[in-house]
Amino acid sequence: MDRSQYAELFLAESREHLSTVNQLLLEWERDPQASEPVQGIFRAVHTIKGMAATMGYGKVADLAHRTENLLDLLRRGDLSATDEILELLFQSADSLDRAVEASVAGREADLDVSAVVRAVDQAATAYEQMVPRPAKARPSAPVVAAPPGVGRRVQVVLRQETPLKGARAILILRRVEALGTLFAVEPAPVALEAEGFDGRFAFRIEAAVSDEVIERTIREAGDVERVELVAEEAAAPRPEAAGGPARHIRVDLRRLDALMNRIGELVTSRDRLAALSTQRADPELEDLAVGISRLSGELQEEIIQARMTPVWQVFDRFPRLVRDLARRLGKQIAFRVAGKEIELDRAILEEIGDALVHLLRNAVDHGIESPDERTALGKPPEGVIELSAARERATVAIRVQDDGRGIDREKVLAKAKARGLVEPSTETLTDDLLVRVLARSGFTTAARVSDVSGRGVGVDVVADRVRALGGAVEVQSRPGEGTTFTLRLPTTLAIVRALITRVGEERYALPITHVAETLDLDAAAVTQVDGRDAMTLREAVVPLVHLRQLLEVSGEEPARRPVIVLQIGERRTGLVVDRLVGQQEIVVKTITPLTGMLPIFSGATILSEGLPVLILDAGALV
Amino acid sequence: MSHTVLVCDDAIFMRTMISDILSEAGYEVVGEAETGAQAVELYRQLKPDLVTMDIVMPDVGGIDAVREIVKIDPDARVLMCSAMGQQALVVEAIQAGAKDFVVKPFQPSRVLEAVQRVLG
Amino acid sequence: MAGARILVFRIAELLCGAEVTAVREILPRQEATRVPGAPGAVTGIINVRGQLLPLVDGRRALGQSPAADRGSIVLLEVDGQTVGFTVDEVLDLFAVSADDLSDSGDLPGVDPGVVRAVGRRGGESFVLLDFDALLDPIISV
Repeated sequence: MDRSQYAELFLAESREHLSTVNQLLLEWERDPQASEPVQGIFRAVHTIKGMAATMGYGKVADLAHRTENLLDLLRRGDLSATDEILELLFQSADSLDRAVEASVAGREADLDVSAVVRAVDQAATAYEQMVPRPAKARPSAPVVAAPPGVGRRVQVVLRQETPLKGARAILILRRVEALGTLFAVEPAPVALEAEGFDGRFAFRIEAAVSDEVIERTIREAGDVERVELVAEEAAAPRPEAAGGPARHIRVDLRRLDALMNRIGELVTSRDRLAALSTQRADPELEDLAVGISRLSGELQEEIIQARMTPVWQVFDRFPRLVRDLARRLGKQIAFRVAGKEIELDRAILEEIGDALVHLLRNAVDHGIESPDERTALGKPPEGVIELSAARERATVAIRVQDDGRGIDREKVLAKAKARGLVEPSTETLTDDLLVRVLARSGFTTAARVSDVSGRGVGVDVVADRVRALGGAVEVQSRPGEGTTFTLRLPTTLAIVRALITRVGEERYALPITHVAETLDLDAAAVTQVDGRDAMTLREAVVPLVHLRQLLEVSGEEPARRPVIVLQIGERRTGLVVDRLVGQQEIVVKTITPLTGMLPIFSGATILSEGLPVLILDAGALV
Repeated sequence: MSHTVLVCDDAIFMRTMISDILSEAGYEVVGEAETGAQAVELYRQLKPDLVTMDIVMPDVGGIDAVREIVKIDPDARVLMCSAMGQQALVVEAIQAGAKDFVVKPFQPSRVLEAVQRVLG
Repeated sequence: MAGARILVFRIAELLCGAEVTAVREILPRQEATRVPGAPGAVTGIINVRGQLLPLVDGRRALGQSPAADRGSIVLLEVDGQTVGFTVDEVLDLFAVSADDLSDSGDLPGVDPGVVRAVGRRGGESFVLLDFDALLDPIISV
């Protein structure tokens, strides 16, 4: 079609949008915390992109597209509006302006926007482009297990050139949904939206319509290359572990959560029944209590097992990610994966995917040196990144290890001092202190633009995520030898083993995930370090936290008090309580956030006699 | 009788181009809206056979506008106009009730195909 | 404001009311677990059939002198949150017409900021409480 008639319109409107962009940029420069300017700029640049692409002005569209990517990161808060970024956006707006004018004047060929394109790209890609957006929680059709042999199996292949294949597939699914019941959609609806979806998908349908109607409905949704219907496909049993072939169904995680909650209540009732039967000393009642106790224990175990998912379900998407990123950054990297069969609660596994992307990206981008640099250092040109999972004590440890340059502690220390995160007298950053500084919310934000080689982009995000799951992040780094990040996670979320402690008349639960040991407080071993109590434990100094003081419990302290030693990485804290009541499994429940509530609780649980007890968060105490 | 269309996009350029493509093919463009809110209001007044809706717009965005329009008329036929890389938004729009989508840059043939599918 | 169905209860010497649409149920008093650091008006958290909910002391929340653990707990749905609210005594559930409610009118000893309206029941005045305002400083969302 002849587009020249639209050129005037394009020019006028683009000028208007660019003037808006410039105004908003100035506004933003005055108040970098404001969120409105970036929204407006994003929309304006987006509109220019769409118009330019339609006009066939490739350079304008390309520059607008890349600027839009950068703006998207800013809009989502993944990047902050530093002076450098704003300056870059001003430049980009100027270039867009020139590119628009030149394109309309027919001088597009003379145009060179590559320098600003590179700069914009660098700002965006070096930091965030590899992070997939977390899938938005969206109510989708529940995935139902298909009874074997029920319904017809339908396979659909979209045309190669189909734009937004995932959206087209979802459109098709919505249309056939109107005909009957869908089962076993493959790949799962979430995967349809993923980058690599190739336009092939399948499902089973039970519907009272002919094959022709189904096929026609699918074809009418557009962009369909091929449709195949197979009736009455026999379920192919897959041999599995001992005990006969295992059959798999897919269950909505929310169902499992609900089931887990019910079982939690059952466990609570079970404990009450056990306590009651002991009190009554009735042998029949006791027998019954023991029987119910055994059954509910087995039920609980089963449901925990049903939630367990092998880590490969998340790990398997990383080789591609590492390869692509390495290629783009000109690095040579051997990527190894170990412990793929280790299992974690599905909810935990789903939560840590993004965190692992952050760490892997850091390892590729900032950890591993370029082949030349490695050769000059006497290292093999190919770097190694290993992602591993291992069961350790009551936790699962997931490690991202590289043999790169290690974290530049001096740089991090200088920055930490400048921001007052460490004492000015601090001379070296131990691994402990390092992870604490890196995990400080926003620590890296300021460093992102100016500090390309420094390590630590997004570690704060990773640490937040892992802590919310009741886990902890550890780091070991040696200059020239590499860095290892360890995510230490509980295996399951809903039920944890906990120590029940008493302070005055109050009881608190403490998950044993981070409990290293318990011992009696030896008054003679208590010293003072920086004005705080500490104790000497096998020649190391461990700071003490008196729970009684922290919680402002009044009354007399008992003479003999236990200390619970909490350990996260190398860091340890001794928690002084009045008494240890016992150890038991507790069901973790959320509580309504109350103003002023001490930020050391991760939830609450119900003990056998029905009373709520708060759960202490080890991560906030160490 | 030809089908009536309401074109919604915040860029005049885009509205003009879509209107031209559709008019040339014999559709009757009965209204143009530049915001989602306007689109909802015009839909109420004009009851067009089809709406083309840009996804990213100031104030009331395209997806919210689809939701509102479907509330007014559950059988409303809305065609989303999106750019590459907006898959998540397009899916959201489909969940909200949009019947189909086209991707910029527009090729007249693809736009017309989609319009026919939706009106089909 | 328009007429409504009101649950009337007594807190210390005050007659108070809550719109029935905000009331989930009425429970006997039960023991609560203290939440360190929470505002003084919060007694703690209680277990209502496996759900853990904050319990707010009606007397403290309205600046009255605290009293013995008697009376009932009114479970309220406020802003999507369920909250327990202790009262001395639940008295009545009745419908008031708009004529019996006035937007203005002070009752001595009550912060006007937490009063939605003042109404009459028989010969007595009661305050229709604004629980959004009352609980706003307590629950951090």
